[in-house]
Amino acid sequence: MSPLASIFIREARLAWAGGGGAAGPAAFFLAAITLAPLAIGPAPDLLAAIAAGIMSFAALLSVLQSADRLFGDDHGDGTAELYLLSGVTPVWLVLAKVMGQAAATLWPMPAIGLVGALMYGVPIGPALVGALALLAAIPALALIAGFAGALAAGIRRSGLLIALIATPMMVPVLIFAAGAGRSAFDGDERALANLMLTLAVSLGTTALAPFGIAAALRSRLG
Amino acid sequence: MLSYFSNPQRFDQLARVLIPLFGGLALILLGVGVWLSFFASPPDYQQGETIRIMYVHVPAAYMAMALYAALAVASFVYFVWRHALADAAAEVIAPLGAVFTILALFTGSLWGKPMWGTWWEWDARMTSVLVLLLVYLGYMALRAALEDAQQAARTGAILAMAGIINLVIVKFSVDWWSSLHQPASVIRFDGPTIHASQLWPLAVMAVAYTFLAGWLVLYRLRSQALRRRARTLQRQREQVARQLEEAVS
Repeated sequence: MSPLASIFIREARLAWAGGGGAAGPAAFFLAAITLAPLAIGPAPDLLAAIAAGIMSFAALLSVLQSADRLFGDDHGDGTAELYLLSGVTPVWLVLAKVMGQAAATLWPMPAIGLVGALMYGVPIGPALVGALALLAAIPALALIAGFAGALAAGIRRSGLLIALIATPMMVPVLIFAAGAGRSAFDGDERALANLMLTLAVSLGTTALAPFGIAAALRSRLG
Repeated sequence: MLSYFSNPQRFDQLARVLIPLFGGLALILLGVGVWLSFFASPPDYQQGETIRIMYVHVPAAYMAMALYAALAVASFVYFVWRHALADAAAEVIAPLGAVFTILALFTGSLWGKPMWGTWWEWDARMTSVLVLLLVYLGYMALRAALEDAQQAARTGAILAMAGIINLVIVKFSVDWWSSLHQPASVIRFDGPTIHASQLWPLAVMAVAYTFLAGWLVLYRLRSQALRRRARTLQRQREQVARQLEEAVS
């Protein structure tokens, strides 16, 4: 097995075994979208109109939820040093690591987003577009959370700091992912454009963020 | 040029000249600018006296962005050439930039109330500036959380450089976002349409703010360097005292 594949699998298994796998983010996501109508009020028109926004917002928050685990533990026990000494290109290594965790923990998000949108009274078509947008947003969200997590690795109570660093960077992907669901619900032809832009942000983040994560990881050692 | 002034002694000599110069220029220009904007310029035919808020608001918004650009450049210089002075500059620029950003948001809100009838409008520009404030706060929080000075410097530099890429994308995405639901009441100030009687006080105030920021940055840089030198001297003196004590006993 190539080193990258084994890092990917190690990270996925760690996330699966250590943090309840996909259950943690999924349960948090569910809790957030349950609380939102209780705060906003049960008016069906209003809930259907804001469903796409609430789903993307809740997805963003649940990605942040597990961001401190990814590099925090490795920084604490010296695994990060070994990774950088291993000879595997750091850029590929961190990409495999972030994607490993994302694959293990974030896959239920589009499904819950779809069910949540239906519960908020969105018709099936626009709800599917919203779920697709969440799927397209996952790489960007996971990598940005990974970047903030690498910068703040090993700092005590780093969760709050990671959230503060990551939120401004998540603005574009949040705008486009929520915009796709929103314009699909409004019957606006810009739904497809928003979906494409979400995908574009994810691809751009996949191209750039690993360099940032690798540099951040190195800057925190020695 | 950069490595020439990264020598602490040369920087100190330069700062000794520039600090009073920038400070004096900032005070004079601020005085002239305030007089021009509040007394010597006519009220706007549409906005009346409230146009005068523009003369404190627009330069603050400009400084908020210019200081972030300076922060990113200083971080780049530190990251590539490892000049300690560049990192010290980044460290003192960040809180100043955050203060100018808060000033821009606050004065913008005061201006928005009489003009748009609301303290806050979720339009593209205001939202971008709010995001800029979050970026400044994240940068300062990260630096404050890292105890090791070198780690704080390197990690902060990476975050500041990532922030400039992010801010460009945020600008475009927020424009797209607000075009989905554009409020009709936004008044736009496009450069060429502004009248000369308003351009003059605005230009003077912008230059005054620039010198004010330059003054504050240099002043804080120099006092930081002095503080560091004082600490070293004190440590040396304590060491000498300890050696003397040992020799006596």
